[in-house]
Amino acid sequence: MSGIAQKLASNQKQVAISEFFEKNKHFLGFDSLARSLITAVKEAVDNALDACEEARILPSIRIEINKIDPKKDIVQLIVEDNGPGIPQKSIEKVFGQLLFGSRFHAIRQSRGQQGIGITGVVMYCQLTTGRTTHVRSKIATEPTAAVVDIGLDTRKNKATKANAGREIWYNEDGSSKEHGTEVTAQMKAKYQKGRQSVWQYLRMTSIVNPHAEIIFVDPEGERHHWTRVTERLPTKVESIKPHPHGIELGQLQRMVSESNDLNLNHFLLNNFSGVTNRARKELCQAAELEGTRKMRAIKGDDIRNLLEAFQGERLVNGQPAKLLKPPTNCLSPIEEILIKKGLSKTIDSRFVTTLTRVPNVTQGNPFQVEVGLIFGGSMAGDKPVEILRFANRVPLMYQQGGCLLTKAIESVDWRQYGLDQAGGKGVPKGPAAILVHLASTNVQFTSEAKEALADNGEVMEEARKAMLEMGRGLRKHLDKKKKMAKTKEKFELINDILPAIAEKSAQLLNRPVPELSGSITKIMSAVISESTTVWNKATKQTDVDIVLFNYTSRARAYTILATWPEKSGATMENNDTGGRKEALGVWAWKLDALQPGERKSITFSLSGLERGDWTETEVLFRGSQDVIGATKMDEKFLQEIRRQEQLFKESEDENPPSEQTLDQAPVASAPPVVEEVAEPAVAPPEGQRTLFGGDV
Amino acid sequence: MSRMHTPEETKAAMHEVVAEMYDRIVKGEPPTMTLPVRTKNNIAFDKKLGVYKYGKKQSIRDATSLGSAKQLLRALHVVEFIEEMLDAGKSSTLREMYYISEGWGMGKFGSQNDSNNLAEDLEIVTKCLREDFKLRPEEDGARMIGNLTLRERNRRGEWMRINARDDVGDSGYGVPYNVELEKIELLEHDIDFIMAIETGGMFDRLIENGFDEDYRCGLLHLKGQPARSTRRIMKRMSEEWDLPVVVFLDGDPWSFRIFASIAYGAIKTAHISEYLATPSATYLGITADDIVAYDLPSDDLSKKDIEALNAELSDPRFADSWWQDQINMMLELDKKAEQQSLAKYGLDFVTETYLPEKLAELGLA
Repeated sequence: MSGIAQKLASNQKQVAISEFFEKNKHFLGFDSLARSLITAVKEAVDNALDACEEARILPSIRIEINKIDPKKDIVQLIVEDNGPGIPQKSIEKVFGQLLFGSRFHAIRQSRGQQGIGITGVVMYCQLTTGRTTHVRSKIATEPTAAVVDIGLDTRKNKATKANAGREIWYNEDGSSKEHGTEVTAQMKAKYQKGRQSVWQYLRMTSIVNPHAEIIFVDPEGERHHWTRVTERLPTKVESIKPHPHGIELGQLQRMVSESNDLNLNHFLLNNFSGVTNRARKELCQAAELEGTRKMRAIKGDDIRNLLEAFQGERLVNGQPAKLLKPPTNCLSPIEEILIKKGLSKTIDSRFVTTLTRVPNVTQGNPFQVEVGLIFGGSMAGDKPVEILRFANRVPLMYQQGGCLLTKAIESVDWRQYGLDQAGGKGVPKGPAAILVHLASTNVQFTSEAKEALADNGEVMEEARKAMLEMGRGLRKHLDKKKKMAKTKEKFELINDILPAIAEKSAQLLNRPVPELSGSITKIMSAVISESTTVWNKATKQTDVDIVLFNYTSRARAYTILATWPEKSGATMENNDTGGRKEALGVWAWKLDALQPGERKSITFSLSGLERGDWTETEVLFRGSQDVIGATKMDEKFLQEIRRQEQLFKESEDENPPSEQTLDQAPVASAPPVVEEVAEPAVAPPEGQRTLFGGDV
Repeated sequence: MSRMHTPEETKAAMHEVVAEMYDRIVKGEPPTMTLPVRTKNNIAFDKKLGVYKYGKKQSIRDATSLGSAKQLLRALHVVEFIEEMLDAGKSSTLREMYYISEGWGMGKFGSQNDSNNLAEDLEIVTKCLREDFKLRPEEDGARMIGNLTLRERNRRGEWMRINARDDVGDSGYGVPYNVELEKIELLEHDIDFIMAIETGGMFDRLIENGFDEDYRCGLLHLKGQPARSTRRIMKRMSEEWDLPVVVFLDGDPWSFRIFASIAYGAIKTAHISEYLATPSATYLGITADDIVAYDLPSDDLSKKDIEALNAELSDPRFADSWWQDQINMMLELDKKAEQQSLAKYGLDFVTETYLPEKLAELGLA
């Protein structure tokens, strides 16, 4: 988790940090002039987002890039946020300290895992231009902002500061700024356009941070504005303690040596998640260590034995020690509806489906996969789809081919879902973009460059399942579109063409115009459903209207079902037809007799949603005769929804707010630990359904 | 078949088509139009006429899909339009009808092809000719050169006597779209056979080399897939003057098709095959053997060529063993050759060597 910090720590005695920086700049994201700028923006923006999230402020971030000396590739970067601000005395610590204490007790999903931090930017500026970085920051409780120029004493690994002072901070409109931080840096870098650019980085950031407003003024003075589409901040993540399955030897050694615990028993119970009192006993037994052993008496071989016990290599009664799974409330998924909004605001399209899988665990680390697919609109149809990869809400822009998330996309045969793909392998082609987000307490990268996720069977499986599910959604959408086009044609036929044929033929033969109803029934020979889902500005509700026409010669009976965003907290109103709840997010109405030629309508409104949250209602039916425009209810689908509902309840029960205590009873029927490692925290069902998004 | 219908007969025939639609609606059924299947699977050799005609397979175009329904509506508009022309004593080209359809609202044509097909549909169903409908083709007829004399009634209604050797320029006599008796009479000739030629280049080559006089023949430029009037005048000359017809085309699958439409009847116009086809016509070349025998410069067959050849193998018109051999041989060679590839051996090779040899095989030289 703090690989670079450790690397720096172990190296600092031998080489000056500046030298280390120079040697390892490809790890640190400063290997090319174009990438250096992206890295600098990334560090500053990540900091801003993290600070706002922590302080529960909706972020507004402004990024400006100016070319100072185009011949020498000197650019100026200004990043301003509306975060809580940094107290004056902490500024140099935040911006000038490269090595912060490794906080291995706190494991949680954070953006900061993925870079050297803003200090790296300060150092890069100093190394390439010899200039310090100007910081201005204001906290709400102080009337003025603190200003200071930060540099870095690379030999002492300490910040240097100059021109410290205080000033009143005015906004552009002349009002005074309440709180926030602004960084102005000058560095050798190159501004580029295209797939790997500051613009793309910010665009991607805006997709996965729909709660943020991002304004970017590029060197040509053009202003790019990504608006905030939700007022909802990401869930605050809880820190969790490391799980024994995810511990490495070095980490365990450090934990042991830094421990203030009374003895091994306390050490195990206080510093790890998933260790119950019974697990503690079993671990001690397996490691052949007395639980009452003082910590300082635990040495080299003991630690190794303990680790083996952790990993299930040492057994108790022929079995590995039974551990609980780590809690998963340390993860903060973006969530389906917000991914959908983020994608929709950034990319013009016809169809969006998103899916957040239930959290899972790999090697003691909780993780969660989220995917989104956006299709149609103005996207090019003959090019490979755009892949948008994210780890803990941070865009991954390089090394696409070597990344686990890309491989998960490539492992799916997209042809069956309506995209082109040569030989059913590789990145599919079509007017689409695919988003994959991995939220995890421990994101494993292929290298220190942290641009590609390393192979991991469980993560791969989760991502793949999510892709398949989305693919099915896309297929259904395309099928439905086709069907709707057909239905539209039929309506044109009976409303326009057939009457014209009747009239013209009657006129030519000089006979009366014949009655059409018989022919219409024969031509349509179906029950047809049309549904609309529209935002009602006046009532701030989403109005849904489902209409059924019986164009057959017999009376028909149906149960009509419709999906609705119950999971996202919507409530159903004005549902005059009544009906009943069928499952989470599925409502059912019984229509007893729809006479030949009859038209019936079901209407309801959804409140508690924002505009654009719910744009398509899926209509399903139960009954023997097909309904054009609706999907026959697949009872398996209903089972899946019910199972999903169950899972959500379980996962809520599973993450109680309080920590485990000594006298907590172990779960008697818990499966063996070794298997548990491979098993998800809560077994996700096959074919987890998209409860949110476009089509199911 | 060459008998034309009176306007009243034509109207009555068209009203049957309209009545089929009307009666179906009255019965509470989707309106329909019944017509023979127009594919190679539904053509059969008519022994009495010596040509291929449509078989018994009928297809019913009913208004259960938008496309078919629009087609029915268009047919009604076309019927109305023809009635108006019959009443006013006017005629129009198919292309003019296509543009006039702009005013038919939902019944307007999507493309010129649509309107051509529909005119053919109506011909088939009503057993009338498009001349009965007062519809003229856009396609222009062939060019002809040779010592033959005919009489054509010009725009002023006067008969003009034309010798297709002495009274014409280098481009020859232009065959009009209507070659029926009321327009053209075949008077006399001093030739031994008629040679139909696919390309303009070859037609001009033979004229320049004086082939028509040396070999006492009439030359006819087909301009690719020959127009109805071209096929019709060939048939008339062949029958009325009892002249053999030889056909000299490129050596590729498309030429085979051109020949089939000349000799056996085209699939699209199988309803009037006996009126257009010349069953006695002979395929002179380029044959698949010629490509080998004369070592002609050739091109590889394209994917489409191969598909066409394979389709021809199962086409009843190519069922005889000579054609099967030719087609299979071309597939085996995987080569095709153009008429003008004969120029490999010089400009005179075609007239001095190739054609004399080929005609000798047929006993014509």
